[in-house]
Amino acid sequence: MTAVRPLRRSFVHRRLVASGGHLAPFRDALAAADYGDPTAERAALSHLGLADLSPCPRAGFKGPGTAEWLDAEGVTVPAINRASRAAAGELVVRLGAREVLVLSASEAPSLPDILQSAWAANPVSPRGYPVPRQDSHFWLLLAGEHAPACLAKLCAVDLRPHRFAELEVAQTQAMRLSVIIIRDAGSRPAFHLLGDSASAEYAWDCLVDAMRELNGRPVGLASLGD
Amino acid sequence: MSDARLPQPWGLHLDRSRPLRFRFEGRAYEGLAGDTLASALAANGVDLLSRSFKHHRPRGLLTARGLDANTYVQVGDEPNVAADRLPLHDGLSARGQNCRGSLARDRDQRLERLARFLPVGFYYKAFYRPSWRFWERLIRAKAGLGRLDPSSRPAYHDKAYLHADVAVIGAGPAGLAAAAAASAGGAEVVLIDDEPRPGGSLLYGRDPDGPARVEAMLHTLRERGVRVLSEATCTGLFADNWLAVVQGSRLHELRARSLVLATGSVEQPMVFRNNDLPGVMLASAVQRLVRLWAVRPGRRAVVVTANEQGYEAALDLREAGVAVAQVLDLRDQAGAQPLAHGLPVRHGWTVTEALPARAGPRLEAVLIDRITGQGRTAGEPEAIGCDLLVTSAGYTPLGQLACHAGARLVHDSGIASFRVEGLPPGLHLAGSVNQVFEPERVLDDGRAAGEAAVEGKPRPAPSADIVSHPWPIFPHPKGKDFVDLDEDQTVQDLRNAVADGFDSPELAKRYSTAGMGPSQGRHSALNALRIVQAAAGGSLGGTPVTTQRPPFLPESFAQLAGRGLEPYRLTPMHHRHLELGAEMMVAGLWYRPAFYGAREAIAGEVRTVRTGAGIIDVSTLGGLDIRGPDAAELLGRIYTGTYAGQPVGRTRYLLACDQTGAIIDDGVACRLAADHFYVTATTSGVDALYRSMLRWQAEWRLDADIANVTAAFAAVSLAGPRSRETLARLDGDIDLSPAAFPYLAIRTGRLAGIPVRILRVGFVGELGYEIHCPASYGESLWDLLLASGARPFGVEAQRVLRLEKGHLIVGQDTDGLTFPHEAGLEWAVAEGKPFFTGQRAIEVQARRPLTRRLVGFTLPPDAPVPPECVLVIRKGEIAGRVTSAAYSEVCGAVVGLAYVHPADAEPGARFTIKLEDGSTVEAAVTKPPFYDSANERQAL
Repeated sequence: MTAVRPLRRSFVHRRLVASGGHLAPFRDALAAADYGDPTAERAALSHLGLADLSPCPRAGFKGPGTAEWLDAEGVTVPAINRASRAAAGELVVRLGAREVLVLSASEAPSLPDILQSAWAANPVSPRGYPVPRQDSHFWLLLAGEHAPACLAKLCAVDLRPHRFAELEVAQTQAMRLSVIIIRDAGSRPAFHLLGDSASAEYAWDCLVDAMRELNGRPVGLASLGD
Repeated sequence: MSDARLPQPWGLHLDRSRPLRFRFEGRAYEGLAGDTLASALAANGVDLLSRSFKHHRPRGLLTARGLDANTYVQVGDEPNVAADRLPLHDGLSARGQNCRGSLARDRDQRLERLARFLPVGFYYKAFYRPSWRFWERLIRAKAGLGRLDPSSRPAYHDKAYLHADVAVIGAGPAGLAAAAAASAGGAEVVLIDDEPRPGGSLLYGRDPDGPARVEAMLHTLRERGVRVLSEATCTGLFADNWLAVVQGSRLHELRARSLVLATGSVEQPMVFRNNDLPGVMLASAVQRLVRLWAVRPGRRAVVVTANEQGYEAALDLREAGVAVAQVLDLRDQAGAQPLAHGLPVRHGWTVTEALPARAGPRLEAVLIDRITGQGRTAGEPEAIGCDLLVTSAGYTPLGQLACHAGARLVHDSGIASFRVEGLPPGLHLAGSVNQVFEPERVLDDGRAAGEAAVEGKPRPAPSADIVSHPWPIFPHPKGKDFVDLDEDQTVQDLRNAVADGFDSPELAKRYSTAGMGPSQGRHSALNALRIVQAAAGGSLGGTPVTTQRPPFLPESFAQLAGRGLEPYRLTPMHHRHLELGAEMMVAGLWYRPAFYGAREAIAGEVRTVRTGAGIIDVSTLGGLDIRGPDAAELLGRIYTGTYAGQPVGRTRYLLACDQTGAIIDDGVACRLAADHFYVTATTSGVDALYRSMLRWQAEWRLDADIANVTAAFAAVSLAGPRSRETLARLDGDIDLSPAAFPYLAIRTGRLAGIPVRILRVGFVGELGYEIHCPASYGESLWDLLLASGARPFGVEAQRVLRLEKGHLIVGQDTDGLTFPHEAGLEWAVAEGKPFFTGQRAIEVQARRPLTRRLVGFTLPPDAPVPPECVLVIRKGEIAGRVTSAAYSEVCGAVVGLAYVHPADAEPGARFTIKLEDGSTVEAAVTKPPFYDSANERQAL
């Protein structure tokens, strides 16, 4: 029996292919699993690596009652412009008094799926409104010790580790795009970048160009799991 | 190599183990790693580097600092490269510029003979006769420096942001001390210097421990994590301590809490006849050449000085094997503190003229004379043979960056130079820019500035050292006593400017152009001010220098533009369009398919929709989710229609106006639930509309949430009589039958596994479905519809199709003043509503007689298609314009929309269109739609 080809595409699908990405199903989408050199990709995550997490699940909620409803669902909502790790490792990102973003790199059902189901199943009010972050925003990860220097070529916010703490969030402009930048926790700097999905190829090209002098490279999702 | 290259230990910057080959003016030379192009040429005995801008006089090294235009050369396709700032590299090839022929045999040097016929301001007085056109070609041919190559590809330039607590600009002794003090105070410090190696005067001064002291300080700074940017020039200081720093091909945009300007000072030339000859140099230039690049700048020198540096330069020259024929101290005996050391010194003497060699451009001798008063001499000149004249008559502070931030350079008669006044908070000065020159005081001043920068407190200005002579200007009756070398402006030129009525420094600058060349007055402003004020009878003390604006040094456009960060937006189907041969067009930030293949394909695409099933990518349409109990109320206030009673599962036309009643957008409201509307908007209008909604909502505080979901949804419009059967070929859970899914309904469900919102709309006047799905499914949806038999059509075909139906496009068929009644959209304005944005203005306008009306028109099939915006003429006056027009195959006529006089708006009336070539064509007003006037096809 022939496997059903996933219907969803990453917003940088063509760029992944052009970069030599090996595409594999990830949930209901195609994602760059690797670029043919897993060892180098794992090393790049320490140095400078760019991963496309756009196929990974994410959910957003905004409007009155959002924080209270999430709290009732057992999600601890951090302060505004801060992120926190949920129990299974998902990132819960507070974008405003009444706006929250939930990110998961898990292929299995995880907090974004659970919350979306819970919202649909339990029509209490107010509970905020879901916003389609899966499709409105690209999601890229820039990781490695040179990531701050790379982003300094594209963003005016000081993202160096001693100035931009772990799990701190910047809603700002980078590459002349409105973006959400989240610094992940960990010994090496790693930044999640989310922005207008229609501008994803532009953003990818900007980042690849900025990485060039720093010897950065794209990395596949497989390297993130190690 | 010439014997001008000195042996070790001279040449701090040089790596003698790495010879480099280069070419200048087509001739091959050899230099050393660490040389600049100018130092390497000097080491090879090359005196002539450029020709002056107006008179094409020969020019050579003056400052060896990269701050003047004398050393501008052409390197490849890049003009105006400062040779005394350009690091030498193997294979470098440069040419002189601003010459016809070669530098040595410049055919334009004869222009100098015309100099006396070209006095200051001559171009204001001369070029109106016989006419500007007569002169323009000649002037354009002579204008500009260097050669631009329009075919050259710009090198890669980019930008990067930098951050610091304290930024110190200038890594001379003051800057190093300031950086050390600031870093010791716990601040994060960035130290910026435009030289290849930090140290400034500690590297080329006579302190034997200078280089070692620099190394020790740098070691300390590195230990404290101070970031040092070398060969980096701060070209501008802007609001909130925002510094533009050019380093190589990168523009750093640096933001610091505090700034220390340790930018130093710039030595000022003396003014006397032929003071611009190659071989006339500043003392600092001589010291730099000798100590940094091991260049002996001449064989026999005369030194003129008013301070200690002239003596130090003389001693350096003597130690480097140059005969010092004479030292002339502008000061009298009592005021001088000579470091004579056996040098032949005359006090109260000056040079009055430099004499060029017959065989070449360089200095051969000088005339000297005894000073008898301000700018006057005894008239008993003596000649001294020399090939080098060194001057050290004073300094002005390099306070330009402070001036960019609001400070002023003001003349202080007590020190015969400028001082920086009015420093804004957060800005500190250190060292000679602060008029502190004594070496140990410079270090103290740097430390104090660094500490003040950390503390964020201003400090009183230190006492100034006196190093400048008040009048190093000795005009010559025969002229060529240059004040501004960039623009060949002499003492008499400035006096003439004052005589012509331009008697203030700012006016004289503009009239004479003194200070307006590439050096921006760095070497001329002080002397020019002295001359202008003396001629105008004004006082010097307290007079500000002319306005200093960024950039401090010339910048290339490539540096400013940097790497192209021009965002663009692509729909999920973008690459499919390219693969299908689409010609893409720009729509705001988006790219949309105009047509597939050649332009001639448009008619075929139109036929496809009229007879079969076509698909167009409409993902660029705006999308807004409006949710909450007050969602309908919110829409009712934003748009002109009513939505409270709109049934779930139905769509309704939307028209938005601003508070003046002008149309700003339109779209469709899709009611998905009692408290949920999915609203479409125009591609170009959605962002402004969304911002406007947010602003109103912040004021109204309705219980509704607004989300801009434009990019989250891909959308395909499927249109044509066969669109239902095309759609039915895909597995789906939506009943497509006309009864279950009538015209203007919306349904949600799944189509071939893709979650969709499907609208039955009729923009192009055929049975049609607008299918919206999450963006990441967009390409798959497109593929499925193609596989199902639909054929793509582009925006150009869509424009024809909608025009055949008479549907207007906001922004094309409306302008910033169009209100609904003019556009025939009064039907979309609900009456009896308590409020909507623009309601009052629309009501007022509706009570007045119309001044124009948008109407449909037709032209015979063989008539030319009027371009958009051609005029409608009525009784010889402009009555309106054509907004859209196209040939309609299905109508067999040219159809269009135009604004006409209301008296001409009734069907059957005729009006005149004036075409671009001046001809006219008579159009007949025709009530739209031009096609399927009963609107039956879209409701099938």
